[in-house]
Amino acid sequence: MSLHEFWDFLVLGVVLGSIYAVIAIGYTLVYGVLQLINFAHSEVFMLGAYGGVLALTAVEPGSNPSALGSVAYVALGIGAGAALGALTAFGLERAAYRPLRRHGAPRLIFLITAIGASFFLFNLAGKLFGRDPTSVPEMYDNNTVATVFGAQLKTTQVLLLASAVVMMVGLDLIVHRTKLGAGIRAVSQDAEVASLMGVDIDKVVSRTFVIGGLLGGAAGFLYGNFVSQVKFDMGFIPGITAFAAAVVGGIGNIRGAMLGGLMLGIVETLTVPLFGDEWRNVGAFVVLILVLMFRPTGILGERVGRTA
Amino acid sequence: MFKKTIVKLAAPVAVGALALGLTACGDDGGDSASGGDSYKIAFQGPLSGDNVALGQNMERGVKLALKEAEAKGDLGFKVEYLAVDDQGDPAKATAAAQKAIDDKSVMALVGPAFSGPTNSAAPLLGRAGLTAISPSATNPTLTEGHKYATFLRGVPNDNAQGAGMATYYAKKLKAKKVYLLDDKTDYGVGLATVAEQGLKDAGIEVVKKSVPQKTPDYSATAKDVVNSKADALIYAGYYQDLAPFSKKLKEAGYTGAGISGDGSNDMKFVELAGDAAENWYLTCPCTDASVEQATKDFAANYQKEYNVAPGTYSAEAYDLTNMVLEQMKGLGKGKVDRKALYTALSKATYKGLTKEFSFDENGEFGGTDIYLYQVKAGKIAYQGNINELAGS
Repeated sequence: MSLHEFWDFLVLGVVLGSIYAVIAIGYTLVYGVLQLINFAHSEVFMLGAYGGVLALTAVEPGSNPSALGSVAYVALGIGAGAALGALTAFGLERAAYRPLRRHGAPRLIFLITAIGASFFLFNLAGKLFGRDPTSVPEMYDNNTVATVFGAQLKTTQVLLLASAVVMMVGLDLIVHRTKLGAGIRAVSQDAEVASLMGVDIDKVVSRTFVIGGLLGGAAGFLYGNFVSQVKFDMGFIPGITAFAAAVVGGIGNIRGAMLGGLMLGIVETLTVPLFGDEWRNVGAFVVLILVLMFRPTGILGERVGRTA
Repeated sequence: MFKKTIVKLAAPVAVGALALGLTACGDDGGDSASGGDSYKIAFQGPLSGDNVALGQNMERGVKLALKEAEAKGDLGFKVEYLAVDDQGDPAKATAAAQKAIDDKSVMALVGPAFSGPTNSAAPLLGRAGLTAISPSATNPTLTEGHKYATFLRGVPNDNAQGAGMATYYAKKLKAKKVYLLDDKTDYGVGLATVAEQGLKDAGIEVVKKSVPQKTPDYSATAKDVVNSKADALIYAGYYQDLAPFSKKLKEAGYTGAGISGDGSNDMKFVELAGDAAENWYLTCPCTDASVEQATKDFAANYQKEYNVAPGTYSAEAYDLTNMVLEQMKGLGKGKVDRKALYTALSKATYKGLTKEFSFDENGEFGGTDIYLYQVKAGKIAYQGNINELAGS
């Protein structure tokens, strides 16, 4: 692999990794407040992708929209994706997890419920939207906008990267600078004490799901745009990779999830020119194992509260 | 999230259970007529799930043939249709085929549509003595040494298709370096292996890689294609993966030629890939029913019945169904059973609309004609016989 090729693939890896990072945040946030691996998050992601695409199909972008039009379409797609993602996550928490918490159900029941919810949602999507893929309408001309060390940056890639960075910075600010963020951190450190201090746990948990859903839904749309089609089972592979990313970074740790996502995206993509595409998941998961061998709690360690 | 894992764990258990069930009742399927005046012909292929368009094309051909036969009414018995959905998935094909086997009035099965499912279902069909006559399963090894007792292939295999691609690249496009990508399915690997041999024999440099089917992100592979400096590309796989791949190729700035086989030869490819599908070559052992003179009436009837033009292998499935019907008629009312029908079919010659069908002692098709298509202005345009086009 020449140096030029290295930059080519690094760019692709960073773009893919930034999407993984945004999805991974959804896993890690929920784990922080509930110690639950929300396996249905991949379906939040998938429904977000459909939300964005359906909204776009409704307004039908022409073949050559103006620059301003392009921005509006992209914003609409991201907005609709985030909205449907948030709605799904909110509904999921209300319908599936809250009743379990009320009854003090054991951990395993939560896990099984999450898997059941995932099955239900992706089959529902298959029923509603069909099992064939739906293509994502073209919202802009995919030109080269910049060149980094000889690697071309396309509109899609810049858009993805920029949106992902904005979302991650925004989330970091919410968690560290707002009252809601303080609540989230308090609940993840010690839920019982937090409730004694006057934190409304139900509210915090519900809002955590909504935030995770917003990010997951938006990431779903961006990812759909990236791979140019959406499909009822599209959540599976990015979902499992993002979950791995959350674990690599230290599950429960938000900055860790971002770092883990970026790392897996880059490793995966660099595996392709070196060993071939069939090895891409092997590469990513070998890194996962190596990290966990030397740092069993992930690169940055566990828990939202201990960041910074 | 765990769905794949669970499916993978469950599949061997289900298959194992099926196999046990079969050994218990393995040899009672051979000779069973049901009353004598009502039979069924099944079609097995992807009728849901991925690549469903390919299955539907054929199913409609089969149904049309049955409908016309009933309207004509000279068979002397009734023939009904049974849909067998294997979702194009080898793991689901055994259970699907069992459905046809268990229905004692099913005399023949058109399909399985794909090579992978054929590999897993054909042994069961063979033991049950039920003819599997496929209009589209093209992996060359399926007929090797007559390993599946009742499998008849009604289509030239991938040796012909892969060789056709290689010839076209070598003689017509004069390619120097070809990037060859398969999708790790039985079909893709089979096609790629033959194409690779053909290209190497012609002295063309080959870069051979694999990307497993259903990989969501093709951007890195597309980049790899561009960096390899190949001037031509072969994709051995199905349209659902070629569509995102071709989009990523366009984005990565690939300008060379691209060719894919019958698994991608469907309008769904063009719909999903949009502009990126433009100029892609598609091969097929099938002719375009709407263009060829012999199939124009068929195409018109099909259009009337389903409100769409016939797709890949619609006419071939129609032909094979008629071939089966003709042999059933030859056996006569009350005398049709699975064994007799297989024997009759394996020796028969039938002049269909698309081509003449006959089989050698391994159940292999007796012809090698491959046809070339190219995507132009959002349509899959029929070009003609690939060897004639390549000038050889």
